[in-house]
Amino acid sequence: MSGALRRGDFARAAARCFHIQALLNPERMQGLGFGFAILPLLRRIYPESGPRGAALRRHLAYFATHPVLAGFVVGTAARLEERRAAGEPISDESIDATKRALASPLAALGDPLFWVTLRPLAGLIGVLSLLLIPPPTAGTPDLRVLLCPLAVLLTYNAVALPYRLSGVARGYADGDRPAALLNSLQLSERNTLFERAGAFAFGAFLVLAGSKLDFGVSSAGGGAVQRALLLAPLVLGGVVGAAGFRAWPGRPVEVALAALAAGGVMAAWV
Amino acid sequence: MVAELIRVSLLGGIVAVDRGAGWSLMLSQPLVGACLAGALVNPGPEWELWALRVPLMVGAILQLLLTDPALPAAQRPRDTATAGVVGSAVALLGLPRLHPALAVSGGGILWVVIGVAAGLLSAVAGGWFARLNRMAPAAVARADALALSGAVDRFERLYWGSVVRTFLVGAAWAWGGTILFLWAALTYLPKIASALTARRAGVLFATLLGAGVVAALNAHVTGRRRAVRWALLGAFVTVFVVRGLASAGP
Repeated sequence: MSGALRRGDFARAAARCFHIQALLNPERMQGLGFGFAILPLLRRIYPESGPRGAALRRHLAYFATHPVLAGFVVGTAARLEERRAAGEPISDESIDATKRALASPLAALGDPLFWVTLRPLAGLIGVLSLLLIPPPTAGTPDLRVLLCPLAVLLTYNAVALPYRLSGVARGYADGDRPAALLNSLQLSERNTLFERAGAFAFGAFLVLAGSKLDFGVSSAGGGAVQRALLLAPLVLGGVVGAAGFRAWPGRPVEVALAALAAGGVMAAWV
Repeated sequence: MVAELIRVSLLGGIVAVDRGAGWSLMLSQPLVGACLAGALVNPGPEWELWALRVPLMVGAILQLLLTDPALPAAQRPRDTATAGVVGSAVALLGLPRLHPALAVSGGGILWVVIGVAAGLLSAVAGGWFARLNRMAPAAVARADALALSGAVDRFERLYWGSVVRTFLVGAAWAWGGTILFLWAALTYLPKIASALTARRAGVLFATLLGAGVVAALNAHVTGRRRAVRWALLGAFVTVFVVRGLASAGP
């Protein structure tokens, strides 16, 4: 016999979705995390330990989606478990198939939005804040050390947190209509919007960085060649970066170290 | 220094959980980690100006350099989460200790370069260290067995244990990495102090910035539809606004 799910159960499951990758492994990916996240709901649906353990075992299978959107699948699976506990003929395979059918498009839409677009945008907004917020005058505290990281956190979480906090409840409510649920999330539209915002912010960053960091070019004497030489390290870093990102995609640390080494060689020469 | 190292290691644990356990609140971004480390490490009242400025610049450069649009699964396993924390802590803890040998000049750019270098090396070594947190297949089998036997409480304890483990690995690396790179800085930098001029630090800083700009270009413009158009629009609007503000000023 199952009990009706309560708002607190959804909140507990949503909170546990924040730890969904703690036991990430190549064999099951987020499978163990999914079981951990859905457990507060299973406790309510299956008060007896035997069926509850069997239900948990069902949800430890392979599972992979975007961590921000995992709550929608947790809610949908909880709805199926509830119907099954009420006596409807829902098989293990059908629960697993529903989870996979929802998890794959959520990953395909969530990865570009959150990892590829929004996370770099949040970082750029933080750096842009450093250029936009004026440095402190004498006697006033430097608030940039607080505001720049805050800009990163707010930019990302203003978009991601509503999905994370409402995911389980919305997945439970709309789980029977997965296509409508996916459309209502507007992930693709938001990705396009933030892609444009990222490119716009990059243009602004170039102008602001160029105006604030002129490396003494504006005050340098001599001709154009001498002024251009002042920008040589910047160009060298750009060339090493461009070649590095082309040769080693996905290895920003190695590219940065290569740029540092190239800068070291140039510094030894000057 | 012990109290500062404890604070740095706690911060390292938090950013490791943010990155590794799925919090994904962006506390693990280099700019955030570096600034938080700057707030937690206090080199003393006479260094107050640098205690805020150096972490900001270390964080901003690392943020630009380490912004990679590739999916996490496509990236090399580098610990970019604690890079900002370790880089910032090494710069701030090394600054007062090396001051007689390495004078602060050029707006502290030398210490920004040292912090960025420490952060990058820490990302590589931290990636190796983080392999300690890889889950053994036996733990998967144990979780299965616990679920099958209905021992869900023990399954939960196993799971919470893994969260704590992620925290401890991150904290241990932030602590050990800071000590390791601080030791390296205190040992080797005085030997090359005469070569570390403000001009050379400026060259290194500009090179890193150039690579950072290209990294940002790679993340926000390359391969994205109509991104060049939007970047140009952003640049024009900023020029227009900056000029407008300049002409309206006193």
